[in-house]
Amino acid sequence: MIGFADLIVEDAPGKRVLLMGNEAIARGAIEAGVSVAASYPGTPASEILETLALAAPKLGFHAEWSVNEKIAFEVAAGAAITGVRALTSMKNAGLNWVMDMFMTLVYGGVRGGFVIAVGDDPDAHYSSNEQDTRFAAFYGEIPCLEPANPQEAKEMTRYAFELSERLELPVFVRSVTRICHASGDVELGKIEKPERKPVFDRHWKLPWRWNVYGPPGPVEKHRWLHEQMPQMKKLVETLPWNKLELLGEPTFGIIASGIGASYAREAVKMLGLENKVAFLKLGTPTPLPEQLVGRMLKSVKSVLVVEEGEPLVELQVRGLAKDVNPDIKLLGKLTGSMPPVGEINTDIVAHALAKLVKRKLPADRPRELIKGEIKSLVAPRSSTLCAGCPHLGSYWALKLALRKVGGKVPIVNGDIGCYEQGGYGIAGKEYKPSSSSESVRYPIDAPYETLDTNYIMGGGVGLMQGQFQAGYKDGAIVGVAGDSTFFHACIPAVINAVYNKAKGLFLVMDNAWTAMTGHQPNPVTGITATGEETKLLCVEDVAKACGVEFIRTVDPFDLKATTAAIEEALKSDKFAIVVARHVCTLQAQRQKKFVGKRMIFDRDKCTGCKLCVSFGCPGIVFKEGKAGLDPILCNGCGMCAEVCPTGAIRVEG
Amino acid sequence: MRMAELNLIIAGVGGQGSIRASHIVGIAAIREGLRARVGETFGSAMRGGAVASHVRIGKGVFAPLIAKDGAEIVLALEPLEGLRNAVEFLAKGGLLLTNTRAWMPVDVNIGRAEYPSLEAIKGAVEKLGGEVVAIDATSLAQQAGNVRTMNVVMLGALAGSGKLPISVETLKEVVKENVPPKTIEANLRAFELGFKTIRKS
Repeated sequence: MIGFADLIVEDAPGKRVLLMGNEAIARGAIEAGVSVAASYPGTPASEILETLALAAPKLGFHAEWSVNEKIAFEVAAGAAITGVRALTSMKNAGLNWVMDMFMTLVYGGVRGGFVIAVGDDPDAHYSSNEQDTRFAAFYGEIPCLEPANPQEAKEMTRYAFELSERLELPVFVRSVTRICHASGDVELGKIEKPERKPVFDRHWKLPWRWNVYGPPGPVEKHRWLHEQMPQMKKLVETLPWNKLELLGEPTFGIIASGIGASYAREAVKMLGLENKVAFLKLGTPTPLPEQLVGRMLKSVKSVLVVEEGEPLVELQVRGLAKDVNPDIKLLGKLTGSMPPVGEINTDIVAHALAKLVKRKLPADRPRELIKGEIKSLVAPRSSTLCAGCPHLGSYWALKLALRKVGGKVPIVNGDIGCYEQGGYGIAGKEYKPSSSSESVRYPIDAPYETLDTNYIMGGGVGLMQGQFQAGYKDGAIVGVAGDSTFFHACIPAVINAVYNKAKGLFLVMDNAWTAMTGHQPNPVTGITATGEETKLLCVEDVAKACGVEFIRTVDPFDLKATTAAIEEALKSDKFAIVVARHVCTLQAQRQKKFVGKRMIFDRDKCTGCKLCVSFGCPGIVFKEGKAGLDPILCNGCGMCAEVCPTGAIRVEG
Repeated sequence: MRMAELNLIIAGVGGQGSIRASHIVGIAAIREGLRARVGETFGSAMRGGAVASHVRIGKGVFAPLIAKDGAEIVLALEPLEGLRNAVEFLAKGGLLLTNTRAWMPVDVNIGRAEYPSLEAIKGAVEKLGGEVVAIDATSLAQQAGNVRTMNVVMLGALAGSGKLPISVETLKEVVKENVPPKTIEANLRAFELGFKTIRKS
């Protein structure tokens, strides 16, 4: 048996292996002979580039973690312009960073196959929104392939390169969390070697092909883009992933796209409707195979549209139905038959289908009632930072400093990374909406109640400037961000703060890794995606070069020093940066670099004040009026000994 | 017992190894010529959040997630997570096979929620028509020489329950291939301890 790094590059057509959707997408790109792959980590899409980075040194192609999605997109696009095959991957929100380049690149397209693999996140398991990438494909007038399972994810990615070259346009592969992070048996195909020589031709098939302003200019290039659509529409009619099953003379039909088709198949099975409903499985939500959809609409009296995300297919089907069969009854998200938000599953589709065919799903009422009672037993489990996480120290210090010199109602602006858990709140606690006309201060029970605002990568350091410029005087103004986020999205905002004379504290929590998405390296790590050593950048150097005058560096494990530095920054009346630097505890443990201290807990000295509990470390437990250290979770970071006021928690020696 | 389709949930807390355990079962199923799907549910955190993997083995399996009341087995690396998943997914007559060692949620620590006792969990699942078998897998893992082999203790217990359509040998072989080389011995001991403990009970 071989390891995963060898398996993913094994040229063994026909072999069946267990691959996660993301790994299958990577394998599809490997089979297609990808030459350049670039990405920025983002759940649920990170494993695409992680897998490609494992394969790259073995097959001789380039794979990189770029500093952000926009740059990753441009790196891949630049490669595709030279005629080689390129892929960029990102999470849903990552696509927002690339929209500028994306919407313009399609005016003229590409030469080598260019695949944009996006992992959407319906239900926002790991995201700040539920945006649907398929609309970007519609908007940008390029095809979108949407797999129903890991096997299709591989096949579609491989084919997407070919389709991209045929149309000379980028192609989306849109997956969702339940594809990205679901594993299945995948049959491998043959690997093509990336042996193309990169070439450059300024006027390749179109004058000024790679310069949107080059004559005849953007409008004519937009016209060229439109002219690709008929060919695109024709191609999708015969793709194996768009399949119409019309048996006998069914009254009802299902049109299901991507993962929706997998749930719909299960729902059909659950209701025993095999061969009794017409089924149109879609792999291209845009452009739709209009002929196939038309045949379905003509053959049945009512149709349920099943798709994950916004009603993109449903809207288009509605448009087509007007011409083809205006009397047809269409059910979906727009009619309330499917939920408008969140993700779908087999049960949801089965309920909608049962309504459509006027059948009842078997239900065990008494058991449902018992379930209702039992649910009160199921305690919530709020997400936490890890035991011994340096961010715990940073948040503790921030809390103490704000209490002292933060004014009446400080504002803490959050950002995206592990530390965003500083704004997740406590699931077991009820938060009531307020209608105060004045600023209101709320107590912080746990670090998870620290962040007042949180939206997107780099958002906090921008918002804090607006609060300052608005003249907010009721308390201190703070922004927090991590190392990878600093490089991804904060640098222009830091320059903006200096240039426009904004003031406030910007706390950068540097743990040396892009930890939340699975410990990818970034410019402060010192290695590249493929593990090669590279120049190590430093947040303070960049901040200094941006003109920041107040910069302090502290170790967040030293709570006293960190609190003092934050206090000083808050009092400084400047745009002040405090860098709290300590390597991620998980990563340090993995690399055997973490030295845990021997912790002593003296139960007699514990007064049950719960101060240590409010520190928020999962290694601290509280039972029968006293605190305690979980011997399995505690790793001896020693921070809680600094928090304990009675000496009940101590470091030995 | 060999069935046409097996729906299994492996639940736990982030960091306990439930995803690794589910992949081991999935790989072993494929090696025995079966079709497999593994769907994972977890929060954004590396550690400490509720994690559940839906493992589905069989020919007619399409969706990565198990339908409500559709799991024949919930294998829980942590009791509260076992209950959380059993309430929603365990089929009538299904088995909750759980570790006894609790991982306290922060909500409980700060006094915002109560952790249900093992008796309460057993009572609840039995009321739903399920069977509960609990073993102290964490202690068994320590006994095997590495507390992080707890997930493999539970896999051993799962194999010992006789409810997997996969041979014990294949499962052990896949365990060997999917744990860090230095921990193979400890993991195999862990597997045996879980296997034997369940056989005794």
